[in-house]
Amino acid sequence: MQSRLERIWADLTLGDGFGDEPTQAAVRAWLERQGLEASEAHFLEQQGIERLLVYRRLVRGNLREALELCMPRVVARLGAMFDEYFARFLRERGPRTHYLRDVTPEFLEFCVPLWAIDARVPAYVIELADHEALQLTIASMQACPKGHIPAELSLEAGVEFIDASRIVHYEHAIHEVLDDAANPSTPRRESTWLLVYRSPEHEVRTLKLTPLAAAILLRLSELKETLNQAVVTACAERRTPLGEEVLGETAALLADLADRGVLLGQASTVPRE
Amino acid sequence: MPRAPSATTQSATRRSGPTGVGLGLRWEFLEEVLEGPRIDVAFFEVSPENYMRRGGYYPAALEALTERYAFLTHGLTLSLGAVDPPAPSYLAELEAEVRRLGSPWHSDHLCCSSSGSLMLHELLPLQHSRESVARVADRLRATEDRLGVPMAVENVSYYAHLGAPEMPETEFISRVLEQSDCGLLLDVNNVYVNAKNHGFDAREFILDLPLERVVQVHVAGHSLAQWDTSLTIDTHGAPVCDPVYDLLELAIAHIGPVAVLLERDNDIPGLSELLAEVRRLEARYTAGVRRFEERHAIPA
Repeated sequence: MQSRLERIWADLTLGDGFGDEPTQAAVRAWLERQGLEASEAHFLEQQGIERLLVYRRLVRGNLREALELCMPRVVARLGAMFDEYFARFLRERGPRTHYLRDVTPEFLEFCVPLWAIDARVPAYVIELADHEALQLTIASMQACPKGHIPAELSLEAGVEFIDASRIVHYEHAIHEVLDDAANPSTPRRESTWLLVYRSPEHEVRTLKLTPLAAAILLRLSELKETLNQAVVTACAERRTPLGEEVLGETAALLADLADRGVLLGQASTVPRE
Repeated sequence: MPRAPSATTQSATRRSGPTGVGLGLRWEFLEEVLEGPRIDVAFFEVSPENYMRRGGYYPAALEALTERYAFLTHGLTLSLGAVDPPAPSYLAELEAEVRRLGSPWHSDHLCCSSSGSLMLHELLPLQHSRESVARVADRLRATEDRLGVPMAVENVSYYAHLGAPEMPETEFISRVLEQSDCGLLLDVNNVYVNAKNHGFDAREFILDLPLERVVQVHVAGHSLAQWDTSLTIDTHGAPVCDPVYDLLELAIAHIGPVAVLLERDNDIPGLSELLAEVRRLEARYTAGVRRFEERHAIPA
């Protein structure tokens, strides 16, 4: 019995058996399709069918509010299209997580492949969605050890960064529309590298990187190269002469990242050859 | 298989926790509590799901506060009445969080909030049936064993039932508590909201419950539905109204000293306004305790 009731609750709250403003006749027809026994249908009639619809409002309201809270810029830019995809997400996949904040990644996992082939959805919206989701992830990642003092760096060793940091690349200047959620502007089309990290004060911050800085940091953080390897290879990759200027800028960048609480110090693990 | 009924177990559980009026800790005023002088509340209550499996500011702040305040945990997504049990990974994370916060018991709702693998994030009422009693009692015992702390269940507000009831709600609650030997988290606002929406006497309902099993009481505000003003919605988004204060005092007069929580989840006012409401609750709570003591006084 309970399994059947659970299926009815799910269909009532997530399904599209009737529109957003359903009539009593539509709900009655929907109830008939649920295969309720006459006594059960009578019981529901006695309570008032509109009472059932309260749950549809509550479930959809909770989920929508969670998404709006987590990615306000995307919701604002998609407008009516958001409602369309929200309904489709509920109908075709539905939330699976115990954590309301994790409904956003579930929603994006479902929607992004669909948005990618929907000509109505601007390309930058997908990047903006990725970025808003990344900010949430960074905000809720495990904290780095308290009172950590960065160790001296060595050219022949790797560099360790906090877990709560990511280097990302976008085709649009996404960071320029982040400050004001209500800002309706469209970000410029421009190749953009960003470092997204959580500060020691637990604020999610974004730092724009040059392509060379991003290449060096990616080699350090993801390929676990030594500092020397990372700088030499990144310069070769970017066809940038390796000289005093690059070395000075790299040293300044690493010092800045240590100040920002992103760089933990020399890597304790043996770097790759 | 019912556990041996033991009201004394619930008394022991109640004694292991705080008594008096506490406040639901919300992110809106977390920083103020963290950085300000000690606030005069008996405890804070949190929903562990908001802090589990995450780092960052909020869990760090919460951990700092556990050194200064008593904490109770009150969950949202155990879905105690569902056919499928919660994921083992979720239970492991919940157990760790309850332990980290030092809560003497953990509570969740007497409801279902899932459907198979779908999580609906709403408190859906259960059919008041013998089948539901057995399933929830089993789930409560298993959860209690897994979490390592006593469990308490909260009576929920509801607007409609899908399955016709086999018994009155008070009997349903009593049977669940008896078969699981768990505590009751009595939400007097939920009783009031249900009484308004379904037309029964809230006082009679409360007195018909096994009040010796109450380990905690919830008090909150409610609102009329914007789309149907004949319907009262359990919004936790308004100040507590006088009839709910009256129900609290009545309940305390029969329960005695216990942990009472002011819940506010929406349209959250400033901390000073919430604390003023805590003081009003305390006055009614104290009056209720006095009545309880008078009822149990041994004649000279």
